[in-house]
Amino acid sequence: MRNGGRARLLLVVLIVTSLFLITLDLRGVKVIDGFKQGTQTVVSPFQRAGSVVFTPIKNFFSDVTHLGRTRNQIEKLEAENANLKSKLINRKNADAQLKQLKSILDLAGTAGYKVVNARVISNGSSQSFSQTITIDSGANAGIKKNMTVLSQYGVAGVVKDVYPSTALIQLASDPSFRIGARIAGTQQIGILTGRGNRTAALQLLDNSTTVKEGDVLLSRGSIANRPYVPGVPLGVVTAVDNSPGAVAQTATVRYYTNFSTLGVVAIVVSGSATDPGDALVPAKPRVTPIPTVTVFVTPSPSPTAK
Amino acid sequence: MFTRQFSIAVPIFLGVYLFQEAVITQFRLPGGGFSIMMIFALTWAVLSPTEIAAVIGFAAGFLMDLSQSASGPFGQWTLIMLLAGYAISYIGFGDDNVHANAIGIIFFVVVANFFVEVAYALTSALLGVQLGSFTQLLINLFGMSIWALLVSPLLLPLFSRLHALLFDSRSSI
Repeated sequence: MRNGGRARLLLVVLIVTSLFLITLDLRGVKVIDGFKQGTQTVVSPFQRAGSVVFTPIKNFFSDVTHLGRTRNQIEKLEAENANLKSKLINRKNADAQLKQLKSILDLAGTAGYKVVNARVISNGSSQSFSQTITIDSGANAGIKKNMTVLSQYGVAGVVKDVYPSTALIQLASDPSFRIGARIAGTQQIGILTGRGNRTAALQLLDNSTTVKEGDVLLSRGSIANRPYVPGVPLGVVTAVDNSPGAVAQTATVRYYTNFSTLGVVAIVVSGSATDPGDALVPAKPRVTPIPTVTVFVTPSPSPTAK
Repeated sequence: MFTRQFSIAVPIFLGVYLFQEAVITQFRLPGGGFSIMMIFALTWAVLSPTEIAAVIGFAAGFLMDLSQSASGPFGQWTLIMLLAGYAISYIGFGDDNVHANAIGIIFFVVVANFFVEVAYALTSALLGVQLGSFTQLLINLFGMSIWALLVSPLLLPLFSRLHALLFDSRSSI
């Protein structure tokens, strides 16, 4: 009886403590923040080491998991990439990251954005139903909260929390991610919302505008370029919902960024003075004409024909 | 006795936390993956009396709240893991059908893992945290349970030995 009473008392004390912590956090009292920052400072070197050790294994599993889903695509691309395979076979992770970095810098350079590059050192746990990554640059590199994060293809997410040498990025696939989007080539705007995977939901704001499959979406941009800089590619419309009762059109969008293979990202620390407009819209793949070879046959003189 | 237990428990908890943050988070596993800290805490909770299970749940939840990827308010995981630890121990501790049987422990851990995630999703929804589409939520919930089912049998021998080391149990699974 005494033991039961003690257990219940302990339970009540712990519950009250938990509720106290929740209340403090929801009221914005930053008691725990220092502790959390300290923990992250301690954990980040281990995450860096883990990233170095496990990246090859991670890449292997990523390839295996995507094999079934993209089999058709792989078959199609195999022929085109045959000449590249021989070059890539001996390359290491640094080469892949360099390639990502180059694309990111091209993207940022075209728009005139000043960026800080960072390596992904940890993928956030999905236990909390959130989609996050941790990068190896933080406040010391000039990164602040609510800055746009770019991948080689476009928007990857937004800086959610900053620590001295690391930062937490909320990926664009996170269900609580929201971004103002504009359809390239038009001024139609809408709101793009993450869905927990590579697709997102687009809600147009004006019921007189329309969207169609294949439309490219760009970021609309925010005041003072934070949290989002304008003109960065988001994704392409893959399906349109034309429900007659809907107030405004909605659509499904596939992000350009593949969130499961992010190795290097860039954080926009300073936007450009002018809106890049549609300058960053990815070029559509062009079909290369196959040259036709014509063979002329000239009969050789027969020795019998005299 | 308490000092000895505390001095052994702290490095174990920190080791599991570090492993979760530095190694497990390197992999974006399909279906949401698994939390080694949660499996560890729930396994220990099944093997412990209620008041110890509550403290184990509290400590594990506190560390999970410290994780960068925790999306809810600080204390949410602490509260849920505390209640889960207490509940799982209340139901399972003292029942020889559970303790003498590794399958029983795994069953308890996997079911508790599922309900903990459901509780987290429900409280998150109440607190205004966005969880995505219902389909994606279901995929994650069942994916995480399947991961727990796959991983728990592999980790159970290690966790039960650590538990025996700490609490001086006479037997381990």
